[in-house]
Amino acid sequence: MPATVEITESLIREYINRAVADVFKTMLGREPTFSAAASWVHGTPTIPVANSRPQVVGTVGFVGDINGLIYLHLDLGFARVCTCHLLGMTERELDEAGDEVVNDAIGELTNMTVGGFKNGLCDAGYPCKLTIPSILRGSNFSIEPVGSIVRHIYHFDCAEHRVIADILMKTDE
Amino acid sequence: MRYKVLTVDDSKTVRIIVRKAFKPYDCEILEAGNGVEGLAVAAKENPDLVLLDVTMPVMDGVEMLTKLKADPALKGIPVIMLTAEGGRDNVLKIAKIGVRDYLVKPFKEEVLIEKCGRVIDLKPIAEAPAKIKSITDPADILIVEDKPAIIQQIQEGLRHTPWRIKGVATQAEAQNSCNLAPPDLILVSLSLPEESAFAFFRYVRTHAKTKYTPVFALVVKTETVQQQQAQTVGFSAIVTKPIDTGELETKIAKAMNLDTSQRYYATEGEVLVMRLPENCAPAVLAEVAGHLKPKFAEAVDAGFNKVVIDIHQIKSLHMGIIKLLFQAMQTCRELAVQFALVGNPQIVSECKGFEDTRGWTFYDSLDDAKANLGKGGLVAPQLAAVG
Repeated sequence: MPATVEITESLIREYINRAVADVFKTMLGREPTFSAAASWVHGTPTIPVANSRPQVVGTVGFVGDINGLIYLHLDLGFARVCTCHLLGMTERELDEAGDEVVNDAIGELTNMTVGGFKNGLCDAGYPCKLTIPSILRGSNFSIEPVGSIVRHIYHFDCAEHRVIADILMKTDE
Repeated sequence: MRYKVLTVDDSKTVRIIVRKAFKPYDCEILEAGNGVEGLAVAAKENPDLVLLDVTMPVMDGVEMLTKLKADPALKGIPVIMLTAEGGRDNVLKIAKIGVRDYLVKPFKEEVLIEKCGRVIDLKPIAEAPAKIKSITDPADILIVEDKPAIIQQIQEGLRHTPWRIKGVATQAEAQNSCNLAPPDLILVSLSLPEESAFAFFRYVRTHAKTKYTPVFALVVKTETVQQQQAQTVGFSAIVTKPIDTGELETKIAKAMNLDTSQRYYATEGEVLVMRLPENCAPAVLAEVAGHLKPKFAEAVDAGFNKVVIDIHQIKSLHMGIIKLLFQAMQTCRELAVQFALVGNPQIVSECKGFEDTRGWTFYDSLDDAKANLGKGGLVAPQLAAVG
């Protein structure tokens, strides 16, 4: 059993940074760069995401010695680009295949990203397991946590697109 | 044998990526969306390999793996985990149940293929069905040699071929080149430092993309120990230095299973021309003889009934050539095909010296022979050589 490491904001930032970079580089051949961060403790802020454009948001949780979930925000246009690349499809083929294919692809990208993040937590002494992905679609919405939550929001620039990782972790209280 | 690979993952995206990765290989991909479906497909299809995710609804991958390994009929099926669950303890726990390998997502398709290629013998499938490659088709040849003069010699010696010949100096460059674009054939010098020729050979044989690529060893003629070692590990052929590029070309064509008939047989107008090259080494004669009956029969089938046997490039006759010419003439007679011979003064003179060839008639040029055949020609050689 590894010695438990204190989970600090810098550790979380390091893990999510690595996970996003790994997934986007390996699966999509892109190199996202970290651009901004914000954190709240016990607060219930409205997520400062400019989501007036249609969004596809993947969600995967982690449960065990540490519990939480991560929302991965992509605007619909970028979600479609990512799906075409992953599956080797053209835009036209994607139109014929429908939204379900985009949902599944973004669900899997989120699963891989959260997997990378939570594997860091496991190796730091907090064993936990992934949950099954789900997808949220829409525009102009906010995500508001309830209860004792620490929240970290990280923005990544990926060429002309933006990827946002919204991490909510349960505290002991 | 066509291998069956079962991918068990609740993500259709992953199943599609797996299918895409295996597309160039002779494999059937089976799919299941959870552990229950996975066990059912495994029992019904008895796959050669299972790629298994962990987090899935209904039944997760750990439970499926446990049940698979507890079933006497299924426990022998090799399993590679393909999952985002990668914490050290989780991996160790799952590995103890019995898996052949563990690949943590995100993953590159080539890494997946490489790992699977260590479990099953992945064979590439040809995209175009059954077209035999010919000596006139382009091919990529990679030379791994740290002496630029040797690379240059081979490139110059094979300049007349349509082959693209690339030279690299180190094992790392060679591996990189194989990853980017697998060549059709590799020549590697055994004199590379630190036995890296053998390390590279192992690399080539353990990667699915190059597993079946012919690899020739380049070695100095007197280095018999190295030659023996290369034969033992399974190099496709040994090419000794100093290099005879003519011989090398024949070996390359043979190793790549190229149709070489176009070197010696061509249809020109209404006539099939069989042409012997200047160098009629035993390997060349065997090649010509191997194509003889099929090419003559093919010509007759296509409506041609005239053959010119052109040996004017040959400097001197020997028994191998004479035997081949007799065989060619005999085949013409059997097929009721008119034929004529084209030679040079030296050949004509040598023919006079042998009892069996004394009566052969030669023409000075292909055009003369064709013109004669046009007038009715010969069905058998005349009994007097033309001076």
